[in-house]
Amino acid sequence: MDNFYIKPGNQERGWNDPPQFSYDMQTSSVGPKRNVLNKRVPPPQLTGQSPGTGLPLSPAVSSGPSSSPGPPPVGGLTPPPPPKSRMSPGGVTGSVSAENEPNLSDVQAPLLWALTTCRQSVKKQVCDDVERRLKLFEEMWKSGKLSLAVKCRMNRLSQELNNKRWDAADDIHRSLMVDYVNEVSQWMVGVKRLIAETRNLNPELLHTEEAPSNAEEKLHKAEEALPQTEEAAQSNS
Amino acid sequence: MATFQEFIQQNEDRDGVRCSWNLWPSSRLEATRMVVPVSCLFTPLKERPNLPPVQYEPVLCSRATCKAVLNPLCQVDFRAKIWACNFCFQRNPRGPAAPLVFLYVVDTCLEEEDLQALRESLQMSLSLLPPNALVGLITFGRMIQVHELSCEGISKSYVFRGTKELTPKQIHEMLGLMKPTTSVPQEAAASCRFLQPVHKVDLNLTDLLGELQRDPWPVPQGKRPLRSTGIALSIAVALLEGTFPNTGARMMLFTGGPPTQGPGMVVGDELKTPIRSWHDIQKDNAHHMKKAIKYHEALANRAAVNGHSIDIYACALDQTGLLEMKCLSNLTGGHIVMGDSFNTSLFKQTFQRVFSKDYNGEFRMAFGASLEVKTSRELKVSGAIGPCVSLNAKGPSVSENEMGVGGTCQWKICSLNPSTTLALYFEVVNQHNSPIPQGGRGAIQFVTQYQHSNTQRRIRVTTIARNWADAQSQIQHIEASFDQEAAAVLMARLGVFRAESEEGPDVLRWLDRQLIRLCQKFGQYNKEDPNSFRLSESLSLYPQFMFHLRRSPFLQVFNNSPDESSYYRHQFVRQDLTQSLIMIQPILYSYSFHGPPEPVLLDSSSILPDHILLMDTFFQLVIYHGETIAQWRKAGYQEMPEYENFRQLLQAPVDDAQEILQTRFPMPRYIDTEHGGSQARFLLSKVNPSQTHNNLYAWGQEAGAPILTDDVSLQVFMDHLKKLAVSSSA
Repeated sequence: MDNFYIKPGNQERGWNDPPQFSYDMQTSSVGPKRNVLNKRVPPPQLTGQSPGTGLPLSPAVSSGPSSSPGPPPVGGLTPPPPPKSRMSPGGVTGSVSAENEPNLSDVQAPLLWALTTCRQSVKKQVCDDVERRLKLFEEMWKSGKLSLAVKCRMNRLSQELNNKRWDAADDIHRSLMVDYVNEVSQWMVGVKRLIAETRNLNPELLHTEEAPSNAEEKLHKAEEALPQTEEAAQSNS
Repeated sequence: MATFQEFIQQNEDRDGVRCSWNLWPSSRLEATRMVVPVSCLFTPLKERPNLPPVQYEPVLCSRATCKAVLNPLCQVDFRAKIWACNFCFQRNPRGPAAPLVFLYVVDTCLEEEDLQALRESLQMSLSLLPPNALVGLITFGRMIQVHELSCEGISKSYVFRGTKELTPKQIHEMLGLMKPTTSVPQEAAASCRFLQPVHKVDLNLTDLLGELQRDPWPVPQGKRPLRSTGIALSIAVALLEGTFPNTGARMMLFTGGPPTQGPGMVVGDELKTPIRSWHDIQKDNAHHMKKAIKYHEALANRAAVNGHSIDIYACALDQTGLLEMKCLSNLTGGHIVMGDSFNTSLFKQTFQRVFSKDYNGEFRMAFGASLEVKTSRELKVSGAIGPCVSLNAKGPSVSENEMGVGGTCQWKICSLNPSTTLALYFEVVNQHNSPIPQGGRGAIQFVTQYQHSNTQRRIRVTTIARNWADAQSQIQHIEASFDQEAAAVLMARLGVFRAESEEGPDVLRWLDRQLIRLCQKFGQYNKEDPNSFRLSESLSLYPQFMFHLRRSPFLQVFNNSPDESSYYRHQFVRQDLTQSLIMIQPILYSYSFHGPPEPVLLDSSSILPDHILLMDTFFQLVIYHGETIAQWRKAGYQEMPEYENFRQLLQAPVDDAQEILQTRFPMPRYIDTEHGGSQARFLLSKVNPSQTHNNLYAWGQEAGAPILTDDVSLQVFMDHLKKLAVSSSA
């Protein structure tokens, strides 16, 4: 699940720059605010307690800063369930999954299918522009300029587009723009437009042109069916 | 409902309202004796997941001077099909969408690294905008360029000089804008080449943004770039005025330095002349300030009249002129984001959150709101403090005693979101010794009309009531109804409002006087005996709030630049109660092996060697590791499996901080520090110096870290307060 991660801020450009959350981490934290830390303590002067009643000191604390303390106490606390992704003290984490690199032509197929379908009714200039950007995406992929995370998410975007799940595809495009803008900014707007135009097409157009992977599957299944028919024919004779 | 605390919480959850007093003194004389005015904090668009919009027009009272909305406090006769208005007692018979506009105004006098980061953020934002929104682009440096957005290949722009002030009419003519002959928004959109639907121009606009260059005019040694922000803003305001008056629109100014040329300039281009500090202002040595403020106020008022809001995203290491420009956002409800560079997570994520969506997948931002306040006849409204302008609506409920923006019962908020909160102040006008009004309850109705981000216009009506009480016989009940958190924020907003026009020491004196009077009225004590002084639970936190407010950056300006003070005050007068309280008195939680995390006194005695402290000031999150903790961390115990609990202890404040970082707008700075660290100063300056080098050994050795300062401590403050409260001569 490499969509949930936290990166450090840019300490060179901004003092104490906060950490940066991925798009999915930000959008998943929607809901009524929990106000975890909101309690205060009244000053002792008004409640009649004596001031300066600090907390009892741990026996391991020494009286002078120079001598080193003993080790921390061992055991005790029950661990809370860890959230999907957490910041680490003074640093960052992210759960990195070992996803395999997808195949470029698998990713491209639904995009090219969508573009071909769009050419029937969408302005030529727009389609040419989209095509130019898809080519740029291909070049960047082939020359190793795209990270694995971007490739994997594009793979998922393609699958969603293939299955006509427009909102899901759109959301993935947005997450890529937010999390990896420097890699995708030049060509992603083409993918965005492609999703927008394809979803608005006449539904008939979408069904007459089958996506390549679907057609292949059907062919495969037809081939598998043949031997059975022959056997049946033979046994009947 | 056993206690007032529960009553307060339930009412806040339901209505988005927190009142300073939940029992209202029934006469004007008694009300003034209460010190803290009858007032409330109101969050118009508080998120209500279980409140679906009603799909019919609101039912209004038929009296022309009333027009209150049918609400649960009205008596309804279903058989006779009539309802009685609870505001004027009248008996009443029982009975299209504009797109949002986003105009980017972008400074190109930036370093290449910053410009690249800004280009990317702007390109990214095109994917975050509402799909049918209109978008426009103005870039500026020495000159101003208004870009024509089209679907064709060639990009055109109209260029203006940065020094010449033009009238709106001249700007309209030069841009070729005709008077809109149609009020149908879709047709108007087609006729404006500068503001186009994002879904049509995204391809070209992405390229246009990607090709933005730094301002080409060379900047000589020892000089600042010539930045014509003033003219750029006036063109933006005029463009929207001429094409989309009275539609929800958001101008977004991105700037990397102060305006140095043209009207509204804040500083000249000679680097050896520094930008004004508070000392300069105090000594009347800020030559451009008054003129610049006046210039921007005029622009802000024009934008507000048209329902347009202005955001300022200012990222630079030095000041950018927020003091002079803040009215652009304060009067219109726009955001101000202050950062060091556009290439920081603070800017990038805060900017992303402008477009955040709620649990329904809808944008949180709303536009063009008008708020009307109606009161039952024993109350009048004195004014409002918040991101609004007056609509100058006179009427019987308008008090002559103004507090904040007064003289009206209607205000306009051009841009708002679910946390935007106004402070409203009321006056009790019932005469002393006249009988308690019939029915025994005073009522206030808030009618908010606004444009939802889905372009639909909506009305939200909130009606509240509180019982009247005779202060002579029921003073304990009135005291028990005191909401000290709301009162602290309401008084603080009054203080900040005054601080904008009065001298600092005068505001502090006023604040102190109000606190003393409140303690004299409600404290339990024996005359002339300070040690006997006690405050009941409903007031026990209030003096501490006032102590911290006096030390806060809202009232103590000399530790900050004028821009910083303006930024902190901007955030303070619009946030909801919880966030405002954090700003006044930061939250401090302590983590240790001794037990679960707990809140501790914002005091140096809370700094202990074997504790980790998490401090939230709203603007910063500080995690401070005590001396022993720091040594253990340095020794690496958290890596060893047998010291797993130590690793968890280190993780606990980080997890709590993460919750806050994920949702807060704007994003706070995040500071991880320890005993002896240079960044520890953020914690040390906030905690009350109850132990200074003067009284280090007052109560034993290991009680906490000493702070080297001569600030008066909470202890000393409370002692003074008690002395003055019990004294017959004060």
